[in-house]
Amino acid sequence: MTRNNETPADTPLLKVEDIHISFGGVAALTGVTFEVKGGEIFSLIGPNGSGKTVMMNCINGLYRPQKGNISFDGKLISGLSPHQRAEMGISRTFQKIELFSGMTVLDNIRLGRHIHLKSGILSSCLYVGKTAREEIESRKFIEEEIIDLLEIEHIRNHVTGMLPYGMQKRVELARALALNPKILLLDEPLAGLNLEEVEDMARFILDINEEKRWRVTCVLVEHDMGVVMDLSDRVMVLNFGEKIAEGIPHEIQDHPDVIKAYLGEVEELYVTRR
Amino acid sequence: MGYLPCGIYHEYYKQDHAWWQTRFVYVKMVLLVLVLILFPYLVSPMWLSVAYTISYYILACMGVQLLIGYCGQITLGHAAFVAVGAYTSAMMVLFIPWPKLIVDWGLAYPISMIAAGIAAGMWSVLFGLPSARVKGFYLIMTTMAAQWITVPFIITQYVSRIGGRGHYFSLPPGTVKLGPWVIDSDVKVYYLSAALVVLLTLVMANLLRSKVGRAWIAIRDNDIAAETLGVNIVWYKLVAFFVAGFFAGIAGSFYVTALYFVSPEHYEWFFSLMWVGVILIGGVGSLHGTIFGSMFVVLVFKFLEMTIIPMTDMFPWFAMKLIYIKESAFGLAVVLFLLYEPNGLSYRYWQLKNYFNLWPFSY
Repeated sequence: MTRNNETPADTPLLKVEDIHISFGGVAALTGVTFEVKGGEIFSLIGPNGSGKTVMMNCINGLYRPQKGNISFDGKLISGLSPHQRAEMGISRTFQKIELFSGMTVLDNIRLGRHIHLKSGILSSCLYVGKTAREEIESRKFIEEEIIDLLEIEHIRNHVTGMLPYGMQKRVELARALALNPKILLLDEPLAGLNLEEVEDMARFILDINEEKRWRVTCVLVEHDMGVVMDLSDRVMVLNFGEKIAEGIPHEIQDHPDVIKAYLGEVEELYVTRR
Repeated sequence: MGYLPCGIYHEYYKQDHAWWQTRFVYVKMVLLVLVLILFPYLVSPMWLSVAYTISYYILACMGVQLLIGYCGQITLGHAAFVAVGAYTSAMMVLFIPWPKLIVDWGLAYPISMIAAGIAAGMWSVLFGLPSARVKGFYLIMTTMAAQWITVPFIITQYVSRIGGRGHYFSLPPGTVKLGPWVIDSDVKVYYLSAALVVLLTLVMANLLRSKVGRAWIAIRDNDIAAETLGVNIVWYKLVAFFVAGFFAGIAGSFYVTALYFVSPEHYEWFFSLMWVGVILIGGVGSLHGTIFGSMFVVLVFKFLEMTIIPMTDMFPWFAMKLIYIKESAFGLAVVLFLLYEPNGLSYRYWQLKNYFNLWPFSY
């Protein structure tokens, strides 16, 4: 297997320019512009309803922005459908778990390899020669690279619908990783996990980002500020669909607009308290 | 997912990908093939027709199972595709001026069988096109439209009138010829059906364990996630419709040999409904389910025939009361299965298999 992420660290891998999208009368995103550099962990934070998930869906292709451009790896991808973007190396996990609940864990991860399997329909009918070899190769990759990394050996033959929530989150990460992506969009990977699972998941994200084998660029949407500040290289803050700040975690923590967005005006707070 | 018997471990991925992973399963499969081959010598001729009817149901239901059980596209018009297959092959055998060479070698029927599969597949794709946009209840409406447009309208009104026959096409004896064999007796029809079922079950099972099958199951379980992982869902839905239609076409073209004629009343809407019922009884999302369901339904119908007909001879007033006994029994069976075993017969089979696989440590 060849590594796909040889982009130099400074060139932007993902470039989002002036995105506008509104649902009916609600403007979900207005004029958001940012860049994600190759190899970094870029976090998107903001209060509930600020447009983080909408942004993810725009990058991924589930939503079409009404205005603005998204380019990935130097190519404009605004007009492509989600599966074409997946073939370019964009993979994602979901906020609400979207596993294939009737399939086993192994089959879920195998589906993640979909774009790497080249056998056609007729050769699949016979399942000899190249098709069978390809399946074994893909199985080998899954077992040795993904299942081993994410420590899910013991559940590989379980049906995913029956697994506990934390494990389902982990399987979803495994499935997204099986695509061998260049960029991984993680939509609240830590929501609803207990402390131990959060620690595991944070470790996995760091592994995926830093290990020589992977070096996947991550875009992270998360509410757990401790984790976000520890993991991210850069953070962007959205509020009511507008970008209010961007910078390294340290700057963001002390940024007055960010504190205002999360806590409200200080005076007002006192007034209501009294 | 089944369990391996106690004490058996795999060392290679190849072993784990194999179909038959233990010697016991090999022996079982060889025995099954032997039973299929020797079947005509083991039973009275009456059961041969039951056997090839079961095969016909299996072939037709395989497509329904693929669409409903594996791809999540509910179809209530499958009889239309079977009809397209039957009519295509019958008319090709009858009306195409085959060169003498092909007739002598008995290739006319196999060629038209494959053509029937492809024609039915294309017809099915045509009515599957709306699945790119609509789901669930609305898709049921479009597949029902396939039934009503195809059978009562196009076939009854127009196709049946070709050649001035008006009602049905009959195949003169000797026209259905497969290689050196003329298919003219129940035994030969039985062997043809068994061969087709084995072959097409293998094809379907192979499809389901490869890339294509996983994409279908992914579309059933969660189409949005499938799309974000690189599955072109519209394309794979249409492939599912094509393959289901192809199987239906083969089924229809096979059943022509058993009936020696084609007529619209064999492809009524009731059959579309019944094949959905068959997979409900057998188990949705399981190839075993297709086979068990078909066997269950055909055998129940046969036993009803065997008990009711002598009874009506004895009590003539009884006959009128029991006209729709088949349909009622079928409906009752579906309701009882939905209530007491919604996973179908194949689930019971799976439980039984695992009980013996894990015995004596079943915890």
